[in-house]
Amino acid sequence: MKRRAVNLALALLLPALLLALWQSQALKGGAHAYAFAPLGQIADSFATMIADGRLLLHALASLQRALTALLIGGTLGLIAGCTIGLWRPLEAGVTPVINALRQVPVLGWLPLIALWFGNGDGAKLILVSLATFYPMALNAQQGMHAVDRKLAEVGRLYGFSRWQALRLIGWPSALPLILTGVSQALAFAWIATIGVELLFSASAGLGTEMMAAQVAARTDVVIVCILCVALMGFALNQLFGLVRRRALRWQASR
Amino acid sequence: MPAETPSTPISSFSRLVRIATICAPMLALIGLWQALVSAQIWPEQVLVSPFRVASTLWDMAASGELTRHLGASLYRLVVGFLLGSAVGLVSGGAMGLSRIAFRIGAPLFHAVRQVPIIAFIPLLILFFDVEDSFKIVVVAAASFFPVALGTMDGIASIPKAHLEVAALYRLPLASLLWRVVLPATVPPIVTGLRLGLTRAWLSLVAAELLAADSGLGQMMEMGRQLFRIDVVMGGVIVAGVIGFLLDRSMIALERRLGRWRLA
Repeated sequence: MKRRAVNLALALLLPALLLALWQSQALKGGAHAYAFAPLGQIADSFATMIADGRLLLHALASLQRALTALLIGGTLGLIAGCTIGLWRPLEAGVTPVINALRQVPVLGWLPLIALWFGNGDGAKLILVSLATFYPMALNAQQGMHAVDRKLAEVGRLYGFSRWQALRLIGWPSALPLILTGVSQALAFAWIATIGVELLFSASAGLGTEMMAAQVAARTDVVIVCILCVALMGFALNQLFGLVRRRALRWQASR
Repeated sequence: MPAETPSTPISSFSRLVRIATICAPMLALIGLWQALVSAQIWPEQVLVSPFRVASTLWDMAASGELTRHLGASLYRLVVGFLLGSAVGLVSGGAMGLSRIAFRIGAPLFHAVRQVPIIAFIPLLILFFDVEDSFKIVVVAAASFFPVALGTMDGIASIPKAHLEVAALYRLPLASLLWRVVLPATVPPIVTGLRLGLTRAWLSLVAAELLAADSGLGQMMEMGRQLFRIDVVMGGVIVAGVIGFLLDRSMIALERRLGRWRLA
């Protein structure tokens, strides 16, 4: 009990020091006040942004964008990954192309996508979907290879059709990797969503709000948004971690 | 290596086959691209031929424009990466080696690690303006976290028994680091460096797209504003090639240091 209290005190030591330093810089005034916002002001902005519903609006817009893109890009990635994982000749042809395209940093596609599709919500969705496509496709492809030889042998002995083998043997062996793909895609979707919102400042979203606050030199609003991005990203990861553990309950005995 | 000599012709042949199986799909992709251009489904402003992109890149390289942008990007990448990974190594090492440093630093470290670096970009602009220093800080922050984490993990993975033996023999700190700590920690650290470099490149391109007067990201952004699709596609290709080379060089380093560890 005492040990835990000491640990907690030590864990809070560094954040407390940093906050004190921040606050002292903010209260100095003058040139410093431009970048350092007093802690009280940050708390005030937080309360106001919750009260007038602004934070909720932007947070929901970003969340919706990330999840929609995850659905589109993840589904396409799953289909692509399973197809190339199951069909060797296609795999040999397509894998180098995917690997080559993957070398381009995802946000580097942005100017090209903007030229082709404008800078509206459609372009944002395409880019975030692309970010979720790669991890999903690569993990699904590996998942298709993860089938235990012995189990496949048993399937052949029982005279399983290709569909039966896929459903009863292939799917359960691939599931862990596919779920890994989903969790990676979820993380990428969140990062890419914030990125495209920073770069395409159009409709609502946490990134758009942060960029507007930066232009207006409102450090307090920027920090509230960062905290929101951080908490939501963390919550998404934790939630999916729960789903994953539930889906893989049967694996615990191994 | 006399034992390997007989297999050399075969392995070089199989290597040739491997290169061919990688290059053939790429050539097919470029062929498909050219076919789409030749079919003239889209106007020239929407899809330019690969040859136009190549000649644009060539012209920009000849005029020194590409070199200027690329040089600016690589300068920021190298300085920021060295800075970020040095700080990452030191703080990761401190948190890995010292119990008290771990209890003070690790909670904050793990909390901040959850935040995508890109989300810090507006804040960093407020603090550092949009000059070079801002982009260097972005790169340094992006490379800091994976390197520090790799260092911490690496030190945690040192076998306990080795440490006990070292303590028993009263090994001086220098040889403890060199003989026990380094061999176990180098592979995770190099993996951290590799991840850090990849993230640094992604964040740098994003930062340059947002605010810069030079750099690869800015070259693409200007190309977009001027509707120069050839410049934009050229920039995408260069960004991909740089990303590929960075990753390859880190993989090569990983292999090299792995061999050193076994020797």
